[in-house]
Amino acid sequence: MALNKMIPIDEAVARVESGMTLALGGFLSQGVPLTLIRALATRPVHDLAIWSNDGGYGDDGVVELVKAGMVRELHCCHVGYTPAVGRAVEAGDLELEWVPQGNLIEMLRCGGAGLGGFLTPVGVGTAVEEGHEKVTVDGRVYLWEKAVRADVAFVRAHAGDLVGNLCFRGTARNYNTTVATCADYVIAEVEHAYSVGELDPEKVHAPGVFVDAVVRADVSYCGVRR
Amino acid sequence: MTPDCRCLIAARAALELEDGQVTNLGAGIPMLVANYIPAGIDVVIQAENGITCVGPVSPPGAEDPDRRNAGNLFVTLLPGGCYFDTATSFAMIRGGRVAATMLGTLQVDGDGNIANYEMPGRKIGMGGAMDLVAGARTVYVLTEHCARDGSAKLVARCTLPLTGAGECDVIITERALFRRRPEGGFVLEEVARGHTLEEIAACTEMTYTVAADVRLDAYGPV
Repeated sequence: MALNKMIPIDEAVARVESGMTLALGGFLSQGVPLTLIRALATRPVHDLAIWSNDGGYGDDGVVELVKAGMVRELHCCHVGYTPAVGRAVEAGDLELEWVPQGNLIEMLRCGGAGLGGFLTPVGVGTAVEEGHEKVTVDGRVYLWEKAVRADVAFVRAHAGDLVGNLCFRGTARNYNTTVATCADYVIAEVEHAYSVGELDPEKVHAPGVFVDAVVRADVSYCGVRR
Repeated sequence: MTPDCRCLIAARAALELEDGQVTNLGAGIPMLVANYIPAGIDVVIQAENGITCVGPVSPPGAEDPDRRNAGNLFVTLLPGGCYFDTATSFAMIRGGRVAATMLGTLQVDGDGNIANYEMPGRKIGMGGAMDLVAGARTVYVLTEHCARDGSAKLVARCTLPLTGAGECDVIITERALFRRRPEGGFVLEEVARGHTLEEIAACTEMTYTVAADVRLDAYGPV
């Protein structure tokens, strides 16, 4: 049935090709799509451009793709918990662009919402200004920040149904609702899978219309205890 | 920097918070501020990963992997708290709903410039700090007065990449409290117990003036 988006994980991550732009949900070790990241890490893919909050946490997350030599550029706001990412940048193996967190999420939100960009006061007077046009509105200076749209996005949800409606839990929601909108092909890993009609429509945080594929999450990741 | 020094800074900073304020506390010393909020003062602690009314760190055995703060620590949720996504979190921050933000720094200078996310050979990242210093109504920098190697952190001019230009309103260290005047320029308002005006002058490269009614022995170990 066309409305069953549950597919094998290998088939899902095969959508990621070399040179693509990949957007990831998650914050440090909260709501990180680690099942998909680890499945991708086994693929012969390189030169990825990744948009993510951070470089991961310890040895988990984006840092795994960096160590595998698969990432050309990383656009994020924090690598303080993953020294290996900082070392890759210092060694010239990885291009790093700092994007303030609120600007980062808004770039992805605009990309998902069909907008070209937005005006932000964040970063004025700092190195973030570089390459940005300044616009003054009612006397306040803003940077013109462009939207970002990815080829593929990975998100992790607490619960999801076969049509891709997603529910998040606690602070694992973070970037996931927005990242679920910002790519041409969106893959959700779900900790708990439900049949169509089983999820309370009032509790859905991300509508299935945005989601192209659903896979089962490995619940042993992210310290998830059940 | 002893743990006592860090707690001393946090204890003085906690006295700045007002009843009903929404506050964001950065990693390190600022996070300790929550332990010193005076009785009778209710502060809503917001963490940018998407949670309000953040409570104390979870007791061992009661950790919930989906209930953490922006420093990734397991926390509790106080009554009235809720969860939300990152875009909503930064609407709160830029939209002016966060009254006070407290953050640590590598450098701060007399023009209120803050540099706290990158130094040679060490990439950290600004996280939500750039958004917070631009969006919060009052920006507090909580920091050791000097770096571990003894060099000044309150510098004449920030040399590291800026987190915010002219955004710092108050600086609190284990030795002194400086408040920026609306017209610009920091004023030394308080000196902690065990320190003198001369000593503060000797370890502070940042330009400041001394308040006419500067308080000596204003805070610190009894």
